[in-house]
Amino acid sequence: MLRQVAISFLVAALVIPAAARTRPHYGGTVRVEVEGDPWQRPGGLARRLVFDGLTAMSADGTPRPALALDWKSENDDRRWQFRLRSGVRFHDGSPLTSPSVVASLVAVCNTNCPWTAVRVAGSSVVFTGDSPMPNLPALLAGDDFRISSASTNGAGGVVGTGPFQTTGFANGVLTLTANDSGWQSRPFVDSVEIRVRRSIHDQWLDLSVNRADLVEVPAEQLHPARDQHLTVLASPPVTLLALQLSSSGVLGDPNLRAAIALAVDRGVLFNVIFQKQGEVTASLLPSALTGYAFLFPTGRDLNKADELRGSITPPPLTLAVEGGSALQLAAQRIALNLREAGFTVQVVNAASASHPDLRLRRFSLECSQPSAALESILHAAGQAVPLPEQSLAATFKAEHDFLNRNILIPLLYLPRAYASGGRLRDLRFAPDGAPDLAQVSLEDAP
Amino acid sequence: MKRVSLVAVVLSVLMSLAAHASSSPWEQPARTLAEEIASILGPGQAHLTIRNLSTIPTDQIPAIRRLLEQDLKARGVLSSGADSANSILITLSENVRERLWVAEIVEGNETRVAMVHVEPPIERTSTTPESIVLRKERLPLMLNNLPGILPGDALLAAVDTSSGMILLRPEEIGLYASGEVFWKGEQGADMKQPRPAPRDARGLLIRSSDGKSFTAYAAGTECVGIFMPPLGAGNGPGSWTFQCHPSDDPWPIAQADPANPSTGIKAFYNAARDYFTGVVTPSLGVDLPPFYSAAMLPRPAGAALIIGGIDGKVQSVEKGALKPITGTRDWGSDFAVLRSGCGAGTQIIASGPGEAVSDSLRAYELPALEAIPASASLSMDGTVTALWTAHDGKSVFAVVRKAAGPGSADQYEVDRVTASCN
Repeated sequence: MLRQVAISFLVAALVIPAAARTRPHYGGTVRVEVEGDPWQRPGGLARRLVFDGLTAMSADGTPRPALALDWKSENDDRRWQFRLRSGVRFHDGSPLTSPSVVASLVAVCNTNCPWTAVRVAGSSVVFTGDSPMPNLPALLAGDDFRISSASTNGAGGVVGTGPFQTTGFANGVLTLTANDSGWQSRPFVDSVEIRVRRSIHDQWLDLSVNRADLVEVPAEQLHPARDQHLTVLASPPVTLLALQLSSSGVLGDPNLRAAIALAVDRGVLFNVIFQKQGEVTASLLPSALTGYAFLFPTGRDLNKADELRGSITPPPLTLAVEGGSALQLAAQRIALNLREAGFTVQVVNAASASHPDLRLRRFSLECSQPSAALESILHAAGQAVPLPEQSLAATFKAEHDFLNRNILIPLLYLPRAYASGGRLRDLRFAPDGAPDLAQVSLEDAP
Repeated sequence: MKRVSLVAVVLSVLMSLAAHASSSPWEQPARTLAEEIASILGPGQAHLTIRNLSTIPTDQIPAIRRLLEQDLKARGVLSSGADSANSILITLSENVRERLWVAEIVEGNETRVAMVHVEPPIERTSTTPESIVLRKERLPLMLNNLPGILPGDALLAAVDTSSGMILLRPEEIGLYASGEVFWKGEQGADMKQPRPAPRDARGLLIRSSDGKSFTAYAAGTECVGIFMPPLGAGNGPGSWTFQCHPSDDPWPIAQADPANPSTGIKAFYNAARDYFTGVVTPSLGVDLPPFYSAAMLPRPAGAALIIGGIDGKVQSVEKGALKPITGTRDWGSDFAVLRSGCGAGTQIIASGPGEAVSDSLRAYELPALEAIPASASLSMDGTVTALWTAHDGKSVFAVVRKAAGPGSADQYEVDRVTASCN
């Protein structure tokens, strides 16, 4: 029944009503609009469509072959060998080789990687680590480690091996065209047009006049979107909003970090700013993934925070925030919370802050295997925490030990949502809530 | 913050159906959790609290509590009042995969945690009777539990043979036989497709009347399987040989006699898409549009070929003429003929409309050019992705995909659908 409940929820949220079902049609162009950068990591739509990883994540959270055909580990998961799929070519026609894979991985990760070294071994790529890396196949499915060519194509676009290739960027519209000779099945649609840096207001307007097929709905605007009768497709909570604390400078004092953790009022963020969307969390992983999130208390305790701060009057702290207006509001609210606990906090834009004391950040839940998901979040936070075991008990222990350091303070888990026009069908989400446009088809395709 | 440590023992409790039948499903997890608690706490008294954050019905909580108290008592841990120095908070929780029972054992300022996994029981479904009644029977083949098949791997077609079940998947064909406990892979072959299987991959399996050979069709490829009997007594059960090769040959889509492909019509499949091109052999004297499905339906004046076009229109090809069939608004892309013996004797079984989480099948009769419902809708447990007539024509098989998302892979099952007359 659990599985059925999960499936019912998911599909009810994702499936677009259709008048009559036929098998998916080929052809046509999907028009998508986004507020940010479609190449951003993680979760950028274009990144998903153009690049592949050595592995990909199955819906059940297990890694499956992608550019790597198979893999094996030795030495207690300290050495992993990934055998590359033969015959794969980048969009520019150049072959995918083990040197090109290693070069791509080194380019995106040369410090603080999940591995210690990566090297070529014939037609394979070998990763070695100082400690066991049981989650490496899952981590390699993440957006951080997708493989790109060092060259660019004729249109000046980046070159990958994915189901779509970049064919143009003009007037704020990135055009991706179906890759007919890829190693995967050809997508149903012929092309995807992504209009970038489009405000949410303009996205919704374009959807209403049929100039867009898929637009974004920030979590805090789910209610207004439904009030406007948009067809909203919301994922389960997959985006972690968390406060990241520096472990140096004034916040090198663990008591001050613990005081900050206790001073944050998650309830106000949830109820007021994010309009009761998603769930309050003090756990790095959502409850649906682990079932143990309740073991991390979410309550605020100002008295305890005062007690931990003691007689220290910390100097003013900077809180950097990246993202839209809701995150700015959330940062202001957190600053207010901390002021009540004796901290003075100045909210600054992330782009202008070089070494902030605190950062309000979003993290994507890229896989649904708890141990790998935890390691992925910790990696994104710049924390190299080895997780030598994959069991739920070991994951809980690692998470508990990490959170005790108060380097990262989980606040909310938010859904990722989109609104869709009537042309799209078979739209599904990846585990992190990103739409899978390679699988989508159009009702009115020729 | 309270000190919390975890007893690094988490045990999976797999509750078999047999166990369900013979005892409470909660006995084993309660016993396991009690053992863990007792090993942490040792003999003594503790205040026991249970809270339910799961979908376990509230009326089952007292029984779970009784089991836990009994099992704890048997291990020397006695339930006491709230003023006890020790306390045990048991949370009945769950995630998308399983149930999880968590015990927080508090001794003074120290809290320790123990967890037990509890797999959810498998639910059974039922069908509703009607005038012509469709019934489904799930084949005892848990596809995603078969060796070599990854979660989410698609199934295109299946057919039973004298020595097991032949399963056709996008890139592989294999023979599976039921073992003592699980189905196991006996033999398999790469389909040798010249290019990646298209999305929404499709396939067709045609077996011989004696079940000792078959032909499989998938995009751009064809396989022939032949059963090789043992050379003599005591030389084993025999084996199959599979021969696959790239092929653009047409697929036998509709047979007057399902066991004899030469009696029917073949159609060319678009190997880069998910439909038939409309070119058939032998020619029917009329240009056909591209179509997804076809079925041969007996008529008083000869058989008619019914096609479901990619434009959603259902049409009949009779005597060199293409005629639209009305009453098919509720048809999906897939249909097959069923010789039920009820009513007109033969019905079309069609999948339902819309992208349904729970697709449906319904029987229709076509006395003329209008489809008339002949049964109630039979609810399926997912989306019907393939539908074909069984070898004897008296049942149809459906491949059903149970859509899933984060946390669980799509599941495929094969249902045999039969009809009975009321």
